[in-house]
Amino acid sequence: MVSPALLIAVPLGLAFAVPLIGLASRKAAQYVPVVASLFNLVVSVILIPQALDGPIVVHIGGFGPPFGIMLFAGPVGLFMSTLVALAGFIVSIYAIASIKTGPTTRYHTLYLLLLIGATGLVLTGDIFNLFVFFEILTISSYALVAYHGDRGGLEAAAKYLVQGAVGSSLILLGIGLLYGLTGTLNMASIAAAVGPVTSVSVFVAMALIVVGLGVEAAIFPLNAWLPDAHSSAPSTISAILSGIAIEVGLYAVVRVVFTVFGASSMLLFLAFLAVLTLLVGEMCAFAQHNIKRMLAYSSIGQIGLILFAVALASSASVAAGLFQLLSHTLSKVVLFLAAGYMIHRSGSTEISSLEGMGMRMPLTSLAFAVAAFSLVGLPPFAGFPSKFLIIRTAVAQQGALFLVLVGLVLFGTVIEGTYFFRVVQAIFFKKRDSQPARDEAPALALVPMFLVVALIIAIGVYPDAITGLLDSAAAELLERAQFIRSVLG
Amino acid sequence: MTFLHNYIYYIGALGLVLIGLLIVLAKHNLIKVIIGLSILDTGINLFIIAVGYIREGTAPIFSEPGLEPGRMVDPVPQALVLTSIVIGVAILALALGLAVKLHKEYGHLDLRKIKELRW
Amino acid sequence: MRTTVSIVLLAVVILGFGLSLLDVPFAERKSQIGDYYIVNGRDQTGATNIVTSVVLDYRGFDTLGEITVLFVAALGLGAVMAAAGGRRERPSTTEPPSLVLRTGTNVLFPLLILFGVYIFVHGHLTPGGGFQGGAIIASAFLLVYLCCRERRINLARKTAADSLGGIVFVGLGLVGLAVGSRYFLSDFLPKGSLDTLFSAGMIPIIYIAIGIKVGAELAGVIDDLLEETE
Repeated sequence: MVSPALLIAVPLGLAFAVPLIGLASRKAAQYVPVVASLFNLVVSVILIPQALDGPIVVHIGGFGPPFGIMLFAGPVGLFMSTLVALAGFIVSIYAIASIKTGPTTRYHTLYLLLLIGATGLVLTGDIFNLFVFFEILTISSYALVAYHGDRGGLEAAAKYLVQGAVGSSLILLGIGLLYGLTGTLNMASIAAAVGPVTSVSVFVAMALIVVGLGVEAAIFPLNAWLPDAHSSAPSTISAILSGIAIEVGLYAVVRVVFTVFGASSMLLFLAFLAVLTLLVGEMCAFAQHNIKRMLAYSSIGQIGLILFAVALASSASVAAGLFQLLSHTLSKVVLFLAAGYMIHRSGSTEISSLEGMGMRMPLTSLAFAVAAFSLVGLPPFAGFPSKFLIIRTAVAQQGALFLVLVGLVLFGTVIEGTYFFRVVQAIFFKKRDSQPARDEAPALALVPMFLVVALIIAIGVYPDAITGLLDSAAAELLERAQFIRSVLG
Repeated sequence: MTFLHNYIYYIGALGLVLIGLLIVLAKHNLIKVIIGLSILDTGINLFIIAVGYIREGTAPIFSEPGLEPGRMVDPVPQALVLTSIVIGVAILALALGLAVKLHKEYGHLDLRKIKELRW
Repeated sequence: MRTTVSIVLLAVVILGFGLSLLDVPFAERKSQIGDYYIVNGRDQTGATNIVTSVVLDYRGFDTLGEITVLFVAALGLGAVMAAAGGRRERPSTTEPPSLVLRTGTNVLFPLLILFGVYIFVHGHLTPGGGFQGGAIIASAFLLVYLCCRERRINLARKTAADSLGGIVFVGLGLVGLAVGSRYFLSDFLPKGSLDTLFSAGMIPIIYIAIGIKVGAELAGVIDDLLEETE
């Protein structure tokens, strides 16, 4: 019987050991994140069948609620931690090939710590612990954005840091207020004490915490840092930030709103914000010439789509939102990794410089195209069932208002299709005057990309393989009373 | 007057938070913004400690055998603030490192002019 | 325009927050868990400093996260600073430190280290603990940097102290998972008798590990920041 605490403890021990390992051999240090994320992937998958029966509640230190900290490894937590471990594993293999300059030992340690922060955040059942792991996640991402040391990276990191630090302070203010109101820090105890959100004080606490978490989740209008940060970071970090960090931030927002506060009145407002985020993201992405900035804005749009699905708050729509989250993580990771080598070979981040890449780097371009088609929502890729389910559950909601929102969402999807097709067209169908020789990315970069491509196709063809898990996860998020009972008994 | 006497700590902490947020929003020198972040952190820590205070209470340390548990302040906010101060220091250190590097690159720290990345 | 919007938003936030503070009466008992810790802390953890027992025993997981945050920041700072070049010998363009400073440092450095060690070794008995002791030790190193610019800390030893401190903490947690009451971070060592140095199970051991780790880390942070200035 493995304990979910191992998901955090073992990688953390390894992370503390990496500087020591790096002193002995720089090459050995780059394999540690691979090993750690593989361990997490295996343990998370092993724990999933048990969590489907009933959530695993781990009492750290042996103290019962609300006196100790607990980990709540239910279907949602293990789904997210599997996703984090999978993306972490894939990107860490790619990083062995692509991170060659600079203080590489520190890069690998920071990268592993980012993954640990994300894993801890999705598994915890205590609100102050959520804040601590959130800080681990964000501070390591501030440092990693500036890793290359160039002007763009430093500026993006500084602005990200200032906005993120203000957000964190707001979360802490909200937690302090919440402790003053309820007298406990355990999420289930707070949920039991708070009831539905009625009084002003509880609403203020919730608003502060949601705004603070929303900075990391990149919800409009808190996402000003994202295009700069995701485009100036090294490609592996862009992939992890877009693929994991903002999703985990969104999970934190959803967990706080649904489970801790039970705020059903906020949901319409969140749906509006989500559609606004979607439209802003897709329209700005359409206007971009820089491929990484385009992908960054596309992430903002996708977060809007996921939040829209979740804010509809029916079990089918939440499951669809989680499916879209999975699809986005897989696609965005491949897109950034493929773009990384394409930029490296062509020497520039402009989309126009990618013309003819289909000839020069056929495998990489194929991976990019598959991921792009999946994100837009074409069958037989993973993005198709997820988008289809979102539209279907949204239309099933009563009310003309929802039809308007669905219309806007579809409009955003059309724009998304346009700019992605533009890029794919440039890669495959524009010929350059001189035909450069085939100059494919190294195997260490291709293998992880194609592993994910295979997964995208597999999930697209057999979506039922994971819908069981997603339905349980949706039920866990929505059924607040069940959550409280599982923890407090 | 008793209202003020009771709530002075909250008002002071909120004042620090307000000043910190104002500095971060209004100033454009990175060092001043970092100082604003530090003031914001201090205000929040003060607020959390004030939440934990219990009238006529002493520190929750049984330094002599005769102390009764009933007259001690809440230890939980103190533990929270301990963690929060360390996290604040961590962010501050990283921010200052970035500021030093930015100064090396640009020669100044005016955030309005550090706009390498265009829209 | 931007300033007016931010000031209006700020006013709304502060007003709303101020109103909600009326629900948090000052100096009244409002915690579900505080009293439990004070009443049961001595028996369940063996420490007389209840804040320490909350920090390291009841909420030890948060402390683990906290040392990780500091670790991340020190690493991040090192990574950001290292992006340009390695260690260089700094030319001395300032006037050499005075005799008073150098003699004072010779006397104070061992005293400061001793004081820091005292603070974190007695963390379960008196106010203080690993972080406070570690900060004092780092200030001792800062004093050395102020007086004798040519001395640098040994990077290999600093990395070793840093990493080993963290590994000891996580390792003790994992041992707790394997033996004793089989929970991660459970206190499996004997509690000893109250108010003595060798009491409170693994709390002093963890605080010693944290103290050494934080001292080494903060000294490394000072070293990194020092490199950039000439």
